[in-house]
Parts: sequence; structure tokens; C-alpha cells
Amino acid sequence: MKKLSIVLLVSTVLFSQWAMAATQTIQAKVNGMVCAFCAQGIEKKMRGLSQTKDVYVNLKQRIVAVELKEGQTLPESTVKDLIKDAGYDVTAIEITDHPVAHIKAEIESKQGVK
Amino acid sequence: MFFEVLTRLWLTAAALMTSQYVIAGPMGFNDSYMAMGDFNNHWRESFINYAITPRDALGVGATYMRADDKTKTRTLEEVIYTRLLQRWNLPHAQANVWFIGGVGALQGEDKQEGVHHDVSKVMITPGIQFDYETTRVYFAATHRFYRASDINHDFTSARAGFSFYETDYDKTQPWLIVEARNMNGLSDKVEVTPMLRLINKNFFVEAGVNNAREPRFNFMYIF
Repeated sequence: MKKLSIVLLVSTVLFSQWAMAATQTIQAKVNGMVCAFCAQGIEKKMRGLSQTKDVYVNLKQRIVAVELKEGQTLPESTVKDLIKDAGYDVTAIEITDHPVAHIKAEIESKQGVK
Repeated sequence: MFFEVLTRLWLTAAALMTSQYVIAGPMGFNDSYMAMGDFNNHWRESFINYAITPRDALGVGATYMRADDKTKTRTLEEVIYTRLLQRWNLPHAQANVWFIGGVGALQGEDKQEGVHHDVSKVMITPGIQFDYETTRVYFAATHRFYRASDINHDFTSARAGFSFYETDYDKTQPWLIVEARNMNGLSDKVEVTPMLRLINKNFFVEAGVNNAREPRFNFMYIF
């Protein structure tokens, strides 16, 4: 019984740590984003946010993904406004628990990028 | 072809304009600087502007120009305002209409038939650009007035090209771009220049040789 309690306690602590460390990524679908040289403004603006851990831009899929640091939040409207300020339009936005690396790997896998 | 006579001022204007049009936009994103350079035997130009809003930029430029027959040289130092008049953000394309206008000091000299004549005037340079771009094709058309008292050096340019293949956002993409342009009064020819363009999120360079077999190099950098 004592062992079971310890296991449960450890599991609870580990789970809570895992839950707190859960990734939050804001992923936006963007119109007009056709040129890397021009679209760099989006990345720079996103990386300039204190909440940002990583950014991924994919021109072909029209995706901008902003992964947040642990425990950080960011309003979707902030992402929309920054993309608009960079000169582009957001057509859809969603929050996922996938890190940017996962999103990038998934998209590149579909595109056949090595 | 489009214009003939006004060799001097037009070259100045043309150099300035050319560097502004090498990519879809003649300005960077809000709160950014854009530096540009455009160099060949007939002009050497550098330009920098600052985007004070997502649609407006203020900048300064300096250009040296020379007529095809070397009888005219010009320098133009300008303060330039750029305005994004209209933008269409499409799913896989972007189109823009830009206003670009400047005012500055035009100086130079004419050496024709043994007569040497100095030029020193105020020049204004309002113009319009339309461009359309996808990840694979590019087109831009520009017309800009370059006017001072008794001087008309209007500039006209058309650019079109394609990328050889798609690339990731953080990889360098090669393009083939062909530009035809004319500067009234500085050249009676249409300069046609095929150029290899390398574009990356951090840099933009073009290099080519025009139909007069003269080399040309452009660059842009946003920071």
C-alpha cells in the first residue's frame, strides 16, 4: 500500500509537470505570403514577442506557427495584428499542442522535403 | 524606345527607381529599414528607407548617372516617400499598387559639341508601380516622372520572371528575371537585362548582363 501511494504520488507530480510543460502553438493560415524576403517581417515580429519560443513559416502551405514558451499565453488577436502589420491577411487561426518542430516535420513529410 | 532625349536626369531617376522595384515591395515591414543598391556602368545608386507604418516609408537615396554616349552625367540626392496604395493578398499570390515620389537636388553637366553646361536644379519624381507575384512567377510595371524645369527624364520599366523551383522559407530560391527599361533623355535605347536572382529571407541579390553587354548588380537588405 505504501509503494502504491508512492507510485501514485510520483505519477501525479510527473503528470502535473508534464501538463504544465504542455506545448501551445498558434498556427495561422496566411494569404499573400509568397516571398521569403518579404515575409521575414512576420518571423521577426513573432520572435520579438517575449512569449515566443519558436516560429515556423511555410510559404507553400501559407502557414505561420508560433510556439509559446512554457506557461505563456498569447491572444490570437495579437498574432493576427502582427501578421496584418507585416502586410498579410490571416484567413484562419487555431491553437494546437504540437511543437513547431512537429508541425514542420509533418508538413515537410507531406511535401516530400528531405 | 519609350523615351529618347533627356539622357541625364532620366538616368538618375531610373537608377533610383530600379532599385526600388527589384522585389514586390519598395519598402519593408512596419518599423524596418530597407537598404538597396543598383550598379552598372551607367549608374550607381544606393537607397535606404524606413517603414514608419505598414503602408508608409520615408527614405533617402543617392544616384550617379551617365548617358550612353557619356556626354551627360547626373547626380541626384533625394528624399523619397513610399506609399502602399493597394494590396491584394490572395491565397497563393500578392499584388500591389505603390506610389513612390521624391524631391531632391539634381546636379550634373552636359558636354556636347564643345559646349560645357552645368546643371543644378530641383527635381520631383512621382511615380506608380504595379506588381504581381507568386512563389513561382513575378511581374512588375513601373512608370515614374523625373521632372525639373526644362527637364523630363521619365522612367519606364517592366520586369517579369520565374523561379526555377519551390523552396522552403529558409532556403535560397533562384529566379530568372528579365527587365526592360528606358530613361528618357539619357538613353535612346531600351535596356534589356536578364538576371539571376537569388532570394532568401535575409538577402536579395541579382546579377546579369544587359543587351549592351554591360554587367549589372542589385542587392536589397531589410533589417
